[in-house]
Amino acid sequence: MAVAKKAHTSEPEQTEGQITRRRMLNWLSSVGLFGSAIVSVFSNLVFIKPRATYGQPNRFSIGKPEDFPSGTRITLSEQNICVVREGEKLCAISTVCTHLGCIVSTSETGFACPCHGSRYDQDGNVTGGPAPKALPWYKVTLAPNGELEVDKGEEVAAGTYFNA
Amino acid sequence: MAKKSYFSALTELPANLWHSIFRNPLPSSDLGRSQTSFTNFFLHIHPVKVNKHTIKPWFTMGLGLITFFLFVILIVTGVLLMFYYVPSTEQAYNRMLDLRSSVAFGTFLRNMHRWAAHGMVAAVFLHMCRVFFTGSYKKPREFNWVLGIVLFLLTLFSSFTGYLLPWDQLAFWAITVGAAIAGYAPLVGKEIQFLLLGDTSVGQEALLRFYVLHIAVLPLVMTMLIAVHFWRIRKDGGLSRPEEADAASQPPGESLEAWPTELDVAPAQSAVAVQTVAAPAIEKKRYGIQGLVRGPFTKVGNVPENSVFSWPNLFMAELFVFVLTLAGVLVMSLLFNAPLEEPVNIAHPPNPAKAPWYFLGLQEMVSYSAFWGGVGIPTLEVLILLLVPYLDRGTKGVGKWFAKERLLANTLFLTFVIVNIGLIIIGTFFRGPNWAFVSPW
Repeated sequence: MAVAKKAHTSEPEQTEGQITRRRMLNWLSSVGLFGSAIVSVFSNLVFIKPRATYGQPNRFSIGKPEDFPSGTRITLSEQNICVVREGEKLCAISTVCTHLGCIVSTSETGFACPCHGSRYDQDGNVTGGPAPKALPWYKVTLAPNGELEVDKGEEVAAGTYFNA
Repeated sequence: MAKKSYFSALTELPANLWHSIFRNPLPSSDLGRSQTSFTNFFLHIHPVKVNKHTIKPWFTMGLGLITFFLFVILIVTGVLLMFYYVPSTEQAYNRMLDLRSSVAFGTFLRNMHRWAAHGMVAAVFLHMCRVFFTGSYKKPREFNWVLGIVLFLLTLFSSFTGYLLPWDQLAFWAITVGAAIAGYAPLVGKEIQFLLLGDTSVGQEALLRFYVLHIAVLPLVMTMLIAVHFWRIRKDGGLSRPEEADAASQPPGESLEAWPTELDVAPAQSAVAVQTVAAPAIEKKRYGIQGLVRGPFTKVGNVPENSVFSWPNLFMAELFVFVLTLAGVLVMSLLFNAPLEEPVNIAHPPNPAKAPWYFLGLQEMVSYSAFWGGVGIPTLEVLILLLVPYLDRGTKGVGKWFAKERLLANTLFLTFVIVNIGLIIIGTFFRGPNWAFVSPW
């Protein structure tokens, strides 16, 4: 302490506003130390964010087109999609309510959510309740082995059918 | 000689053991009463003497204490339940059934944990109401109010994380909906939802995360904050009380300003000093350093008339509240079993899918708009609650229930309470399948 005082008085030219070497070093080392402490807190956030998940894969096979004859309207509960086929036209509509993630059930007019009363028509458009947007449609493709593949990672516009 | 001292050591052993643990005999004098309070670790949290107003049962109704004791009951029963619980989607539900069928007192412990948890949510809310209606959040207690609000939110979050653990239908859908609500927060919502669940939907990762939060992270944080909350009660000058409660203790002709602004500290003369201070005949108070307390709220000035010794007055009151709380939880647990629904069925939410009662007000709001009901309005409410002591700077009406001077503030808060309870009642009794309006009659 005494040394510091001495060092200070030995530079009488120094005014308050100017940056001494000591202050500069203090400042740099604090920024360095506290900065790395803050960065290490963020590293915890990175740590708890999983890089791989163990749930349902986004892309999955649902079977051959023949499994879904015309007029089918079937809910695949494990994948949370509803497969609809009319004539040659086939599509996969999500059954996860866009409001808060409950699973909608098929009703006579389309879909209805048991949690907060959202209602959708046959194509997944909102007809009532708090749902903010329509149920998404997922891309359906035919894999080389002749099975239909749904990709939940890729949404398509409502009314985009796969031609079986 | 050696033999004799050996025998005497043996005969004195029980007494010596006792005195090595408890420094004081059961107190019979005022000196003993004050020494007992501050030489015992568990008692020294309390002041040696408390204002008479503080231990009036109808002032606090013991609500803060009830909350704390419920927290203790939750820790004890929770640790016991941990011996049998496995946070795995394969096993969790079966473990719940095992608690019922093959664990001694399993059902009873789970009942206690569940009802104490519900009770704690209710008690912490009522405690907040008490503090508001008595104007106890005012200066210098502003920050303790803020800590209280944080503890209230942590209580809700603890309860929310605990809800998933039985892995039944109610658990799964309440957490699905709850996490989705978090997803509506602007900018970081989706990120929070993903961090919370550890996946895109509720599953094994979410169960493990909620378990860790429920049994380690939240209890640790809460224990720490509760300690600070208690510590601040003393540092903020004890419980709030009206000015009259202190007035009688002031020697005539001497106002608070007359007390020395710089501490007038005499060398500590052991605890006997406390005795001399207590004697009203002493004109000029001199006291040892028990703690340097700044501001006008040093206890020394109001020792003589208006306060009583914590032992036994305060401690008996606290014991009474504890026994009452424990008895309440035990009776509830004997009469009602904690519900357990069917095991998780990912495809079929129950209809209606209802959260626990204290979240039904939120669920009711969410059914109008997910963002406003689930994020916007609750965030605003919490922000306003946090800012209350910094917005309402009036000093009148502290330490009195429904003081006339605080008519506006109390009316506003009462409206807030009634609206929220009203929403909970609507969500609980007036909502049926598909969240359609039904009449309970």
